[in-house]
Amino acid sequence: MSASTALLPEYIVVVAVLVTMIAAMIRRPGGTVASWVALIGILGALWATIDLWTMHIHPAVFFNQSLTVDNYSLFVNVLVLIAASSTLLLGWTGEREHEEFPILVLIAALGMMSLGMVGNLIALFLGIEVLSLPLYVLSASHRTVLGGEAGLKYLLLGAFSSGILLFGLALVYGATGTMNFVDFASSVNVHSPLLAAGLMLTLVGLLFKLGIVPFHMWVPDVYEGSPMPVTNFMAFGTKVGAAVILLRLLAYGFYMSPQDWGPALGYLALLTMIVGNLLALPQNDLKRLFGYSGIGHAGFLLIGVAVHSVVGAKAMLFYLLPYGLAVIGAFAILTMMGTDKETVTISDLAGMARQKPWAAALFIVFMFSFAGIPLTGGFVGKLYLLQAALFAHQPGLAIGLVLGTFLGLGAYLRPLQAMFRTRQGESNMAGWNVNWSHVVVLVVAVVGTVGLGVYPTPVVHWVSQSANFFWLH
Amino acid sequence: MVLLWLMAIPLIGSFVVLIAGGRLAKGLSAGIGVIELIAFIVLLAHGPVALNYRWIPAWGVRFHVGADGLSLFLIGLTAVLTLMAIFASRGSFGRAYFFWVLFLEFGMVGLFESLDLVLFYVFWEVILVPIFFLLTGYSGEKGRPAAMKWLIMNLVGSLFMLIGIVAVAVIHAQPFGSLTFEISRLTDVKLGPAVAPWIFASFFVAFAIKAPLWPFHGWMPDAYREAPPPVTALLSGVMSKAGIYGFLRIMLPLFMPQLRHYQVGLLIFAVIGLAYGAFMALRQTDMKMISAYSSLSHMGMMALGVFSLTAAGILGATFLMVAHGLIVGGLFIVLGILEDKTKTREVEVMGGLNDDAPRLGAYFLFFALAALGLPGLPGFVGEYLIIQGLVAHDVVFALIAAVVLIVAAWYMVRLFQGVMQAQRRGSPIGDINALQVGYIASLALLIVFLGVYPAGITLHAAPSLYHAVHLVATKGGHGL
Repeated sequence: MSASTALLPEYIVVVAVLVTMIAAMIRRPGGTVASWVALIGILGALWATIDLWTMHIHPAVFFNQSLTVDNYSLFVNVLVLIAASSTLLLGWTGEREHEEFPILVLIAALGMMSLGMVGNLIALFLGIEVLSLPLYVLSASHRTVLGGEAGLKYLLLGAFSSGILLFGLALVYGATGTMNFVDFASSVNVHSPLLAAGLMLTLVGLLFKLGIVPFHMWVPDVYEGSPMPVTNFMAFGTKVGAAVILLRLLAYGFYMSPQDWGPALGYLALLTMIVGNLLALPQNDLKRLFGYSGIGHAGFLLIGVAVHSVVGAKAMLFYLLPYGLAVIGAFAILTMMGTDKETVTISDLAGMARQKPWAAALFIVFMFSFAGIPLTGGFVGKLYLLQAALFAHQPGLAIGLVLGTFLGLGAYLRPLQAMFRTRQGESNMAGWNVNWSHVVVLVVAVVGTVGLGVYPTPVVHWVSQSANFFWLH
Repeated sequence: MVLLWLMAIPLIGSFVVLIAGGRLAKGLSAGIGVIELIAFIVLLAHGPVALNYRWIPAWGVRFHVGADGLSLFLIGLTAVLTLMAIFASRGSFGRAYFFWVLFLEFGMVGLFESLDLVLFYVFWEVILVPIFFLLTGYSGEKGRPAAMKWLIMNLVGSLFMLIGIVAVAVIHAQPFGSLTFEISRLTDVKLGPAVAPWIFASFFVAFAIKAPLWPFHGWMPDAYREAPPPVTALLSGVMSKAGIYGFLRIMLPLFMPQLRHYQVGLLIFAVIGLAYGAFMALRQTDMKMISAYSSLSHMGMMALGVFSLTAAGILGATFLMVAHGLIVGGLFIVLGILEDKTKTREVEVMGGLNDDAPRLGAYFLFFALAALGLPGLPGFVGEYLIIQGLVAHDVVFALIAAVVLIVAAWYMVRLFQGVMQAQRRGSPIGDINALQVGYIASLALLIVFLGVYPAGITLHAAPSLYHAVHLVATKGGHGL
């Protein structure tokens, strides 16, 4: 198979970026031409991805092993494209989003897609940077004080972590003498301190992007200051990108020495699940709440990596989908509520159950999916992760997952109960802005969330095909 | 097929009510409740049935549902009490309220039908949700902390049970490599001494919290007090049986060696709960709390029956589940009507209401006598069988249980006298209307029928329990 066939989804996105740039130049103020072009590009890439999937390709390696197209990367493509399209649709109205918005979303999506398929160190770093740079700009794109702070903080800390990552990659290269993940294990210096130091710094750089405690400080501030659709993109897309590259790197490059990194990641997962969900408890700003809960969910994802088994890889990949669907659904509702302001607090939700019962019902579904209540996808994901932890004889991780879930539940229940409180003073439900694009996101999110909870079998099957790293056991 | 219909009717019905709703909500949901009852009668005519479909083949999770003698009558109890609760609810609560009541019915029926651990767990948590919203949305400001307590306490238990479920399946899968969650196939699981106590505890605590059994009843007083009366009837009548049902359905087949090992400790816990509930009921002044603690005491009685690990005791617990559900459900509905008319729950400010409402008084007396275990009514049958089982195992516990039954008579009679007889202290009230007489009387008739013909249940239940009791016998307990 030629590179142009296997990389068709990525090529479509690249072309879409160029066309969207032209469309953005000719667009009238408030027009949506550029967004349409970008959306069509994303749908085209999605179509190409599904087409490739149905061709049952064997893993195809390109450009001196720097890119690998397999079912894993195709599944990641689907996740990223869902995230990108939901971001576009939530920022559709164009009143507050500028011309560059769809372009930057597409470029970031390209970075995330490439992270699912990278097989060498240079491609890894490029993918991380292509993902990050557009997000630095996007997070400050509303030009508010908080937004500027968010953008600057994200840029500085992101650049710092990129530096650490790059240093780590250089040390790994120095120790092994190769850029390709698959050759690390066969290099002579498997147990050299240089390689250990390089791996540690690389992991720190990647865990920073994933938002793992203790590298999580930027998450809530950046989420709080960024525009709502951008926060949605960071909460879903960035997590997908960082989690899948972490798994790819460790499963391809360091599968021979899990004792070097497995326990460390296990303890970090434990810490992240507890701390992230614990800090979500007292939040009043819903974006900060989702920021901390996102940290907690990153801890859940890390279980799948830390157990170093094929069940773990599948479970992590599966969990990204229900998590992401709940994120886009919840952010769709927040976007509908607060188009004229940056944040929504818990007290803003008061009276929602009475005045907007359908929106309240959907919000309940998404919160329950976060919390892992059955009949939503979140429960199935947690069940999968529990299996992974217990098959790996790690009851500590299982108990940590349960404790984290439990703390998270407390955080999600507060907004739910607030919806039933009668509101003092005037209603704030008048500022609702319901666009067709929001409704599309909501429908996809709720159908996906409930569908995954009731009949997850097809997705479990696809995930089994995707994360079948046969050399793991 | 009727098994699926029993689940589908309330589920579809709940959404019909939610969409069509409005003024029709109460009538519509009553109609759905009646259809569900008819479906149950069809099931009763069918006898034991089971369905087994693939659900998530990769994990060996199956959609395995069935109705045998153990669950058949609990499904019936759910259908009957939900219908009663719908009749007793205020139409002004709106469509969301009836949606949640019907959704709760869906969850309960699903729970009692499940024969696969994952499926069981799904419904086990699904039933938490409607109660949470019924407490949050329909019982004023004080209901919210109660709802919080309810959900959090129950989830602590059930989340650890989830670890237990997966752990049992993983341990069972270790030598062969294929996962299964079906209860009937997990019975031969060999738990090592290092993990067995923890897995046992994870299941035990979850079931004990849901029942609730002393000392896991922290959520109970607030939730029972703050919930609207029909919801309290469902909570104590149906929901609490889920915990005891879990003991019978899951713990007896899977954890018999552990149950044997801890039997004396478990019996002591149960008997403390029995006495604690009774004495707490004696010193309450809120009439809803009196019956709430009496319910706690009765849950201890059922647990005694189960933990006696004898055929008679387990059969008695099975029977008492159904009987107590009907009785306490009726009692809470009557108390709800009283509260509606007098606007108070304090026994001390009521009294002499018998003159105003003789019909209400008659039914109140009937349910109170049934609750204290009057011979001829079904509560007595269940308690008799349990005490018989206890005598066979250890006569000390039988003696304590018998003494507590006397206390039960005391607090129930005290409740009735305080409210309906004695000196008049409040303003006069009106009697119940014909519709109320209609549904309360039919519930009372059903109770009388079970009291004089308990074989209607025990004949069905005994063969199903045979398997469980057989396990008791082969693994070192007392057989028949």
